[in-house]
Amino acid sequence: MAKGAPRNERLRDFMEGYGPAIIFLIVVLVVWQIVTTALEIPEWFIPSPIRIAQAFTTTKFLWKHTWITLVEALSGFGLSMVVGTLMAAGIANSRFLERGVFPYISLSTSIPIAATAPLLIIWMGHDLKPKIALAMIITFFPIVANTTRGLISADYRMIRMMRALNASTWTIFRKIQIPTALPYMFAGFKVSTSLCLIGAVVGEFFGGDTGLGYLLVLAESGMETPIVFVVIAILAVCGISMFQIVAYLERRLIFWASQELADQQ
Amino acid sequence: MVQEAPTSNPSAASDVPCISLRDVEMVYRSRGKPDFLAVKDITFDIQERELFALVGPTGCGKSTILLCVSGLLFPTAGHVEIRGGPVGEAKSANQFGFIFQDPVLLPWRTAIDNVRLPLEVTGTYDGEQVNRCLELLDFVGLKKFQDLYPHELSGGMRQRVSIVRALAHDPSILLLDEPFSALDEITKRRLHVEFLDLWAHEQKTGVLITHDLYEAVFMCDRVAVMSPNPGIIKEIIEVTLPRPRTKEMRDSDEFHELTRYVRDVLGEF
Repeated sequence: MAKGAPRNERLRDFMEGYGPAIIFLIVVLVVWQIVTTALEIPEWFIPSPIRIAQAFTTTKFLWKHTWITLVEALSGFGLSMVVGTLMAAGIANSRFLERGVFPYISLSTSIPIAATAPLLIIWMGHDLKPKIALAMIITFFPIVANTTRGLISADYRMIRMMRALNASTWTIFRKIQIPTALPYMFAGFKVSTSLCLIGAVVGEFFGGDTGLGYLLVLAESGMETPIVFVVIAILAVCGISMFQIVAYLERRLIFWASQELADQQ
Repeated sequence: MVQEAPTSNPSAASDVPCISLRDVEMVYRSRGKPDFLAVKDITFDIQERELFALVGPTGCGKSTILLCVSGLLFPTAGHVEIRGGPVGEAKSANQFGFIFQDPVLLPWRTAIDNVRLPLEVTGTYDGEQVNRCLELLDFVGLKKFQDLYPHELSGGMRQRVSIVRALAHDPSILLLDEPFSALDEITKRRLHVEFLDLWAHEQKTGVLITHDLYEAVFMCDRVAVMSPNPGIIKEIIEVTLPRPRTKEMRDSDEFHELTRYVRDVLGEF
């Protein structure tokens, strides 16, 4: 009993926090199941939750497709983090890059990613490369823009003090600008978690024979609607998990920022 | 051509002023806008260990003068000398310490690590200097808070950390840009007294920018009153209050007379 008490307490805390959301989800699934069965809604139109659950186990190579899409999305995201951060460092320190290159990076976000996909497939073929490139392109702007803003938002008086102490540009960059930019960088990373999945999936629509995007196209042409729902569910879980991981790293790494924001308000 | 290198303990050459400005003029030029004459005809000498105040309304060029003294800005006319040598030399020798209106601490560093920052930058990070940082923090009563982050400290504590940081690398000249003006009245008065103690202990030369003429008179040896458009020095007033200054002096007739006189010269209230 002594051991059970805190566990009960923890369960109660958990249910107070997440209980309503879990109950609501169960209600929706039950109603969904009853309605689709009672009204005999065809499976190709809206499959029942039980049918979708079955599709999870019967779909061939489901986890291989998921793995491929994740590899593409995360590779593109990773490349964007490296190249985008370097680009932001350049833009923050060079008037030429700021005036000459940044406007084009900014304008390029207006081009729909689906319009660039065919070109990349022509150039790179049907393997993972064009999908990685798309995941990178779509995450590039938020990372560059946020990081640049972070790098230039260091307190001018701090920079002035560092200059008066004969600090080199590199020292100022390392000790002041990069830590100042971290909260901004993470804002860009969080946006990018969902964007990189979009890039990878859109790329898979257009070419290749693997990935969740390919599976979607295949399911659509065969009217296998349960598989479409399965893919949507997997993508949702991937997107949410990636976001939560980045948010967790942010809280661990930038312990000071939430307090800073509270002070400003 | 050989100039005496500035040192942090300038006991010799007492006839050479520590900071010397001659007919300093600063014009800000930017394309598409008319030239802006920020200050002109600024001439004064500050002796070693003197605390010199610049008071005046916003926009009278106080900060411009501070930037010229620290070598971060070059005047468009006139000369600035530190101990008879060019400003750049004093800057190379890390002779300047800064205190701003806000603490401007790095939120990811603890109090002691913020204080150590100038040492890391100037590369004088040895045991003696680290001990000095701890002593200074102890002097302002923050030794037991040394491992706390800025967001865990009160506003007054943060400003104490920033004052100590300005002294960490043992500069001979302190540039104080309204260091007490963001504090509440009670903390401000306490810090005035604390700062004077620290000042007596550290033997620095200082330029204090302030809007608060009571602060200027209470803290400083001389008060330069400025007026704007363009920024000029109207008058430099000698503060005859003896040192060490005590908080009781703020109630003395002499103090009131001096502040009244400074206020009349300022002529704005």
